[in-house]
Amino acid sequence: MTFRGCPQETEIMCALKAGHWPGGCDRDLRTHVETCAGCRDMVLVTMTFQQARAEALGNLQTVSPELLWWRAQLRRRNAAAERISQPLTIAQIFAWLVSLLVAAAFLASQYRHGLRWASWWSEVADSRTFHSWLLASVGLERNILLLVAALGTLAVLSGVALYLAAERE
Amino acid sequence: MDRDAFAGFYLRSAPALRSYLGRISGNAALADDLTQESYLRFLCSVPPQGDEVSCRRYLFRIATNLLRDHWRGDVPSSALEDVPEQLLAGTDHLGRVDSQVVLDPAMARMRPRERQLLWLAHAEGYSHREIAEITGLGATSIRLLLFRARRKIARLLRKQVAAERGRA
Repeated sequence: MTFRGCPQETEIMCALKAGHWPGGCDRDLRTHVETCAGCRDMVLVTMTFQQARAEALGNLQTVSPELLWWRAQLRRRNAAAERISQPLTIAQIFAWLVSLLVAAAFLASQYRHGLRWASWWSEVADSRTFHSWLLASVGLERNILLLVAALGTLAVLSGVALYLAAERE
Repeated sequence: MDRDAFAGFYLRSAPALRSYLGRISGNAALADDLTQESYLRFLCSVPPQGDEVSCRRYLFRIATNLLRDHWRGDVPSSALEDVPEQLLAGTDHLGRVDSQVVLDPAMARMRPRERQLLWLAHAEGYSHREIAEITGLGATSIRLLLFRARRKIARLLRKQVAAERGRA
């Protein structure tokens, strides 16, 4: 099918939009519409749709704008809370993963060098005072100290990450 | 847009948007839901900085996308052209009045895309360029699609009018 638009189409459409059809249009244009099938279709369809729209607008009831505004505020707040919690969750997961890795590394090193927890525990249990317990603790392996240091660093880093994430939001 | 500006914009644009969605979907409840959702998304997004006409066009685009998403969810096909018109034919009547006695049956026989183009062009008075912006179709194809849809519905309207006169 070949498509040929009528040159009068734009003028008729403008008249219809402005509500000037048919009274506000000259006789030539009205005569043209009677003879041009495409323009006749356009007039029929536009007038029917405009009438349907006008009738529909008169019959419609909508919810109050205040309610929508309030719901939008709520949705925006929820979206903001979700955006904040996302990096926090990621930081938590990261912290857990690092902790697990450190624990796994520690256990692996303990296994390689032989388990000496039993002797250490018996020393601690035998010490009656805090002073002697501390002395026993100082005698811990370097790995334990490393573990404590790593966990401390991790806690500090997680705190900084959380702070930065919250600050950014 | 502040609260008062939105209230004014809403009161001026909501009936038109609601009747657009109602006419295209043929479902009053769905049209109500999508109208509200369109405004919520409009408020939660960054509307175009400009006059009310741009905001209105942006709102119609949101509504059109929501309707398309709804249809994609309901039917296996993802293309609006492939949705059978029976699925989307009016399931209820949106405040039936005299002109709709003629228009409703004709619209029910049109494809959803055709209804959309016809309503935007002839009820809302949007230009081809504006319709392209709202629907996401190519501006050049709209002229031809609209011409075909107009010819089809004009034929159906004339038949319907003749049938109504015959009954009377």
